[in-house]
Amino acid sequence: MIAPLAYGIVALTAVAALWGLLTAALDRAPGRAQLLFAAGVEVVVLVQSVIGFAGLASGFAPAERATTIGYLIGILVLIPAAWFWANTERTRFSGLVLAVAAFGVLAMTLRLLVLWVPA
Amino acid sequence: MSTSSGAGRALIAVYGLFALAATARAAVQVSTKFPEAPLAYLLSALAGVVYLVATFTLARDTPLARKTALVAITVELVGVLTVGTLSVVDPQAFPRATVWSAYGIGYGFVPLILPVLGLLWLRRSRPAVEAG
Repeated sequence: MIAPLAYGIVALTAVAALWGLLTAALDRAPGRAQLLFAAGVEVVVLVQSVIGFAGLASGFAPAERATTIGYLIGILVLIPAAWFWANTERTRFSGLVLAVAAFGVLAMTLRLLVLWVPA
Repeated sequence: MSTSSGAGRALIAVYGLFALAATARAAVQVSTKFPEAPLAYLLSALAGVVYLVATFTLARDTPLARKTALVAITVELVGVLTVGTLSVVDPQAFPRATVWSAYGIGYGFVPLILPVLGLLWLRRSRPAVEAG
């Protein structure tokens, strides 16, 4: 976990969530740029989880180790699941699906920042 | 109309998010600190199962899945109201440990709103042939 990276993810997921709400409000299915953006956010989230696990492996001991590991894994699945779910039926609601996942990643990232303290 | 179509897809996404959050949380609680608050952690696990069942049955959308979803979401509503009330009346018994504590205050009260939306959605998406 690197705090600036986490805040970057918070900003990126906020954009992805707002983008999803916007296309839903405009009654459009998510466009190509929007889907690529979501994929890009996922890559950054993956980098963060890898750094997190590297930290745990090299001796960092957070107060709530099991919970922290759960978040580092859980945070990875939301966007891919939403991507699949948003694309199997492409309507305005696809944008809401992406927004839900993005907001979930945002909330989980903030929680990870709180969890990432030594025991 | 199908439960897994249109607005239902957004609803299922929220259910999926809560299924993940509640199940993961319960798994950590039950496996690492179960004796601390067995009742709260068992309810945590129940919440996780209910969200999982609701997610998959809403997405599956067969007559049986629809009935199962109705049961799961009703349990969910009763659960959040019961645990919510108990956790406010007797905080000792529920040390802020389940998604349903204080009506889901730790999750922006979404756990309280979600079953209501779920039941409304089951009603609205009901097939036309199924009268009553």
